[in-house]
Amino acid sequence: MEKILITLHINDKPCEVMVYPNDTLLEVLRDELDLTGSKESCGEGVCGSCTIQMDGKPVRSCLTLAMEAQGTRIKTVEGLANEEELSDLQQSFIDHGAVQCGFCTPGMLISADALLNENPRPDKKTIRKALAGNICRCTGYAKIIEAVAHTNNPQESCPDCITGSKTGSKPNKIQGE
Amino acid sequence: MRLPRFDYLGPDTLEEALDLLAVHREDAKILAGGTDLLVRMKKGLLQPKFLISLKALNELSYITQEEDHIKIGARTPLADIIDSDLIKDKAFALSQACEKIGAASIQHFKGTIGGNILQDNRCHHYNQSDFLRSGRQACHKDGGKICYAREDADRCNSTCQSDGATALMALGAGITLATKGGQRQVDLASFYTNDGIMPFACESHELLTEISIPVQGALSAYKRLAYRSAIDYPIVCAGVLLQPPKSQTNDIDEARIVVGAMGRSPLYLAQASSSLKGKKLSDTDAFKNAAELSMNSSAAFAVHNVGATLEYRCAMVSEMVFKALVQAAQSVKE
Repeated sequence: MEKILITLHINDKPCEVMVYPNDTLLEVLRDELDLTGSKESCGEGVCGSCTIQMDGKPVRSCLTLAMEAQGTRIKTVEGLANEEELSDLQQSFIDHGAVQCGFCTPGMLISADALLNENPRPDKKTIRKALAGNICRCTGYAKIIEAVAHTNNPQESCPDCITGSKTGSKPNKIQGE
Repeated sequence: MRLPRFDYLGPDTLEEALDLLAVHREDAKILAGGTDLLVRMKKGLLQPKFLISLKALNELSYITQEEDHIKIGARTPLADIIDSDLIKDKAFALSQACEKIGAASIQHFKGTIGGNILQDNRCHHYNQSDFLRSGRQACHKDGGKICYAREDADRCNSTCQSDGATALMALGAGITLATKGGQRQVDLASFYTNDGIMPFACESHELLTEISIPVQGALSAYKRLAYRSAIDYPIVCAGVLLQPPKSQTNDIDEARIVVGAMGRSPLYLAQASSSLKGKKLSDTDAFKNAAELSMNSSAAFAVHNVGATLEYRCAMVSEMVFKALVQAAQSVKE
């Protein structure tokens, strides 16, 4: 078994990397490319914390061989923010307090991002269905679903939307390094 | 969890894939979506020397209608089947079943219908980590001589928890298995062996290429029960098909009731099915009766090995069958 050179297109950048045939995409992302946003939790496709996008569709990176990911456009949670500026979805997660321990968050963001790209204003049932493959063991899903629902559709009745970035009262930037 | 070592083979055509399979046979496994295979490999249940990837074989991904059959390529992602209006219209049970497999948006893009049919049987005592299994005697499926699910069992009692297979068997589907230089068609019902260790009669050099569903204006529905609505295997599921005669639409000419996640393979229940012959589509008493019969006939096959108590699962068989029958009957087109 030898290492093989493959090219992956990750977050709009081509990366050449040497992999073993039995390396999963998650292992390559985390261990070889230092993209540690995607997490390994169950390792068998049940929890969703390793979710990444391949060609715009959410996929489990722990059950995808790195070799199989050649020729697809990969987007990880690191690819959501534009340089220093968080995406609307990420900011909405912060505003709505949808992050507790944060371990499920990269998977949630990636699944939600794929949904919002197809359907910018989904109803709550659609969101629940889209996030059904992601488990959060901290707090529950109410805040997460709210954050996704209000990303492109801020509600006046929602206090988190009013104090959040949509009204400009919070700096929409990552502070410091 | 690391995957065990293997060599990765990426054929570009079906012919190349069949050549490779003919050479490597038992040493090779087919990789389509990998959502079942890679999990089993990670747990050390399987250690193939070669993985033959179907990634480049787009010729195996299609849904078409030819005369009175719907043909589905074995590598068609579940998402395509769910989105297909043809399947929704003519083979509703399959559409419902595929929606329930894995998670709505995550495994559907990787998981394939062929992989779902060929998923291995499962058992609480068998589908465990290497570490847990190493601390005790091997069970039948693991190459040993004992069964943890049923005392003194002389053979493996693992359960077939495939949603797709249950629905497809109810729809009377057939499959095509290709080998180097040939192929054979087999009815899905006779493809299953009722053997826990080797659940289907698929030779090591055969590749599942196509699923073919007959369409004759039949009504179908699929219901399943699971702890979690996403990424969970069913603990009971039922697929039903009601075939009205050609002249009128209110009678049942032929019925097929298939119960899954109860036995070593999806169970076609002949007695319950034939009890519906000649009954009206609006006859819910007949449905209740058929559901009871289904429970009685399938209870003998189940063992306590996929979660939930056996009593609960058996009781739910009639519930799932009844709900599926009612839904199928209601889907009649005016």
